[in-house]
Amino acid sequence: MKIYAYGIIDFHNKLEEPIEGLEEKGIYNVSYRDIGVTVSELNEETREITDTCILEHEKVVERLMINFTVLPMRFLTVFNTQEDLLSMVEFYYEDFKNNLQRLFNKVEFGMKVIWPADTIKKRIIDVYHKTKHNISVSIDSPAKTFVKEKFEKHIIDKEFQEEANRCIAVVDDYFNKIAVEKKLKRLQTESLLLNASYLVDKDRQNEFKQAFEQLKNAPSDLKFLFSGPWPCYNFITLTKKPSSVDYFNTEDMLNRLLAQQGFAQERNSV
Amino acid sequence: MDRQIKTLQDKNSYLDLHRQERVTLLEVLDRALDKGVVISGDIVISVADVDLVYLGLKVLLSSVETMERLRGAPMAGAQEEPT
Amino acid sequence: MTNRIIETDSQEAFIEEIEKVQDVLPKRIDANPKNVEKGLAKLVLTLVELIRKLLEKQAMRRIEGGSLSEEEIEQMGETLLKLENKMQELKEIFGLKDEELNLNLGPLGDLM
Repeated sequence: MKIYAYGIIDFHNKLEEPIEGLEEKGIYNVSYRDIGVTVSELNEETREITDTCILEHEKVVERLMINFTVLPMRFLTVFNTQEDLLSMVEFYYEDFKNNLQRLFNKVEFGMKVIWPADTIKKRIIDVYHKTKHNISVSIDSPAKTFVKEKFEKHIIDKEFQEEANRCIAVVDDYFNKIAVEKKLKRLQTESLLLNASYLVDKDRQNEFKQAFEQLKNAPSDLKFLFSGPWPCYNFITLTKKPSSVDYFNTEDMLNRLLAQQGFAQERNSV
Repeated sequence: MDRQIKTLQDKNSYLDLHRQERVTLLEVLDRALDKGVVISGDIVISVADVDLVYLGLKVLLSSVETMERLRGAPMAGAQEEPT
Repeated sequence: MTNRIIETDSQEAFIEEIEKVQDVLPKRIDANPKNVEKGLAKLVLTLVELIRKLLEKQAMRRIEGGSLSEEEIEQMGETLLKLENKMQELKEIFGLKDEELNLNLGPLGDLM
């Protein structure tokens, strides 16, 4: 029986209410000392899982969130045996305890912002052409033209980045005083100005939602996507790393890169 | 000895979803696909980002070998049949 | 049966942008042994491209700082132009596109 893990919870007893998980199997709690891992069993023959199962996974985690502090597992974390599962919990026990304490009574809110990138760029380009620059050109040449074009791109991009930072600071300001922690991802695409995650105390949820209402109603040319409350996906910090996933181990990294290019990993050393 | 469970992105059924459902799925994917408790190592037999394979199939594949073979096949809109 | 809300007034716009980020179309893994050289070339050219871009960036910063004479700018321009053209040639020889010359560094994101 394969074991599918949904999350780590601050509860080591039996779960009273029945919750249904993947493949319509019941969830149960596996204890380790004073914490638990919530799991369900997968059929042995299961070879593939469609990505819409992620919604079932999420449903379980959010159901748990009502009664417990949950550290949600990444989707599709599966173990061969219960012994494997327990050795994992043993390995990360300190990390799990720390995170459960830190995230007790907290929820995550997400906000994505789209800004009019094209309009902003046009404006920057206009300003650029009206300003004098360090490339004075007495005689033109292919090299000079090349440099001029590169320089223009460089300045425009720089201005674009600075404008993005200014805009993000204004938006973030609405939530700064309410959120305990935050993770901001800037310019994931040119138009997606911000992908923000905020860690908020459960008791301040409404305050946070109100802050979003204020932001939404403030005059701007920004588009917003607001979501939450979520389990605290973005605020889990694990300090322990098994050596096989050491991204800063050059040899290991090189093997992974070569594997990406289609080389079979026949040896451990390059 | 295959230990991997693969994740399939069923693009056809994804496109069938209403906009709101698509937004929901994308938001959930944005979090659960590679955030949360992310652990790797020999005892975890499946992680979500390994071998994300795009297939327009609704048929359950029975072996990992078939998947390996199909990975070399052209994609992007083409309907694939397992051989 | 969840108290979670997902609220937006621009579903289409966000679907479009988020899909770009999540790279909904997967990367094709080429296991064909004939393309072994291509794999190596990709790796090497990615690193070369990184250095070339860093050089360009540094050059632009120096121009911005105003510490270069017109002659120096001219010389630098020639070098950068040659480098870019050479890179273009190499990409064509190995049949590689710009997007292919990148490395995923796991939690650090993409190299470029």
